[in-house]
Amino acid sequence: MKLATNLLLSACLVVPMAFASSAYAADKKLTIAFSFQDLETEFWVAGHQAITSTLEERGFNVIEKNASEDANKQLEQVKSVIAQGVDGIIIIPKDGELAVTIGKLANQAGIPYGVFNRPPSSKDAKALVAVADNRKISAEAAGFMAEQAKKLGRKVTPAILVGDLGDPNAVERRQGFLDAIEANPDLWTGAPIEIPTKWDANTALANLQSALQANPDIDFLFVSSDFLFPVVKSVLAPLGKWEKSGSDNHVILGGVDGDKTACKLLGDGYLDATGVQDVYNEADLVLDAITEAVKAGEKTPEKWMLDPGFALTLGNYDAKKDDMWGCKLLAQKGK
Amino acid sequence: MNTLQVWVVRTLLKNTTIILFLLLFVGFGLLAPNFLSLRNLEIIISNASYIGIIAVGMTFVLLTGGIDLSVGSVMYVSAVVVGLLIENYDFSIAAALMVGFLAGLAFGLFNAVVITLLGIPPFIATLVTMIAGRGVGLLLTRSAAVDFPDELTMLSAVRVFGIQLNIFIFALVVLAATVFLMLTASGRRLYAVGNDPEAARKAGINATALIAMTYVISGGCAALAGFVSISQLGRVNAGFGMGDEFDAIAAAVLGGASLFGGVGTAFPGTVLGTIMIQMVQAGLVFIRVDLYIQPIVMGGIIFFAVFLDSFRRVQLKKLERRNIMRLSDS
Repeated sequence: MKLATNLLLSACLVVPMAFASSAYAADKKLTIAFSFQDLETEFWVAGHQAITSTLEERGFNVIEKNASEDANKQLEQVKSVIAQGVDGIIIIPKDGELAVTIGKLANQAGIPYGVFNRPPSSKDAKALVAVADNRKISAEAAGFMAEQAKKLGRKVTPAILVGDLGDPNAVERRQGFLDAIEANPDLWTGAPIEIPTKWDANTALANLQSALQANPDIDFLFVSSDFLFPVVKSVLAPLGKWEKSGSDNHVILGGVDGDKTACKLLGDGYLDATGVQDVYNEADLVLDAITEAVKAGEKTPEKWMLDPGFALTLGNYDAKKDDMWGCKLLAQKGK
Repeated sequence: MNTLQVWVVRTLLKNTTIILFLLLFVGFGLLAPNFLSLRNLEIIISNASYIGIIAVGMTFVLLTGGIDLSVGSVMYVSAVVVGLLIENYDFSIAAALMVGFLAGLAFGLFNAVVITLLGIPPFIATLVTMIAGRGVGLLLTRSAAVDFPDELTMLSAVRVFGIQLNIFIFALVVLAATVFLMLTASGRRLYAVGNDPEAARKAGINATALIAMTYVISGGCAALAGFVSISQLGRVNAGFGMGDEFDAIAAAVLGGASLFGGVGTAFPGTVLGTIMIQMVQAGLVFIRVDLYIQPIVMGGIIFFAVFLDSFRRVQLKKLERRNIMRLSDS
């Protein structure tokens, strides 16, 4: 009798607990940590918005961490979220080296690790990487600029505003520009003039002014990120070189990113081409991959996914502008 | 050494910063002849002006043995305030600039209170303001870029007495700072406080008020620098002003200011330091040095300049010591 009573009491305790536990497991939301280097440009803002909103739509808890362009801070943030036992990590790294270091930590902890847009500098850590083919889209944009230059029937003087050389994207964009230069050897008056910006508007302003003072004949300018166009305008306008395509004083102008400013400048005819990264596609690629990995219980998934991107030019503007994220944002703002 | 030799050596040692400045200017000119043009010099000073204005404010702080890490963030917040007031609240440019300037002063005042009344070390206090200030700017903008109207950006093309407006503002700031430091009792007291705060207090100087004032000046200068910069750029991104505090400190130190207080001048010291950094940056672009080598050359030149400054101080002290002996002998 005593045994039966004990069994009954035990059953009364265990059964509800078992039900509660299974109900908890079904309800438990998975947590993804998202650490981003900063929100300095429209591209990063759009990427951040796409990732956070999609994660929430898919029912994840999201822990957001802004590294404020500080590599050490980003590393500490990731260590902290690993200690909290998150189910997945997505980062926009400060630089390619940091992406590898953080990747190794995530691998050791057995947490799936995704990298958005700025790729690790090596494949030493296993990661789900979504990145634009920066070299290809830069080469396409610069290639269209070269076609525009050929129409002038003379040689032109090329220059490039180079980004931070610690950023693999900046390096790839520079390489894409140089590919286009190499593909048209007879078009140039000399070797391209390389102007450092360190991704800083004030540095870009000062160095572009110096470059134009030293080489007043620059008439072919490739800008490694669209966020620098206001700077380019403020330097070219006082020199009478901020003119629309077709004008005698027009500097053939190209960029990379595909932001709102670039969309407007293309529409107005000041810009000849920009290499477009598909921010929404890249966000989807990394989110799909990490969702799949987390739900499948994979610890160190690895996949590099390339966003082919495209070049939006004066030639295809009407046909393809709706595919560019900056034009979509511009249209939303208009509404 | 005879008297003439001593005079020559002393003159050379006292003017090493100017000599180095001229050597660099002529050196870059020999490598790229159009570097020597007046127009190029104007561009260099114009581009140096906003950092120069911050560096002048920083010189005040350094004179007291303090440091202000918040200037980049204050510059950002002030610029954001101006932009948002114009864009969202239909403020006139003048009124918005005034409010932005007051915001800069308010941040400076906050630093001053925290450092002088609460006794928190300047490095920590201004580090906190740097982080919180950037946070305020990001909160106000939600990280979006702030664009400024053409009326404001056209100010960069305005000339006053034939001088570009941003250079004119820089010159005014330098003039005011130099007059204050060299010709007023408060200026001289500031050096005394920097050299020995305790001795200055015993001599009846209100060191607390003077130290507090330097942080307010630094905040005001940062806000002003922000306006100069936005008039050239036309847009403020979330990274605006980030790291500028280090450029300002480098410019002031290159111009002879001591990180331990009591030594430094707005003119010629900080002005030369600021322009020299900008000149080297422009020179490297002119002579088209490989992008990967540029930071190394830049670092090398700054190191050499600071080393030269340290060397000359030691030599000057030695020379002065010998003179005292000679006078006593005679």
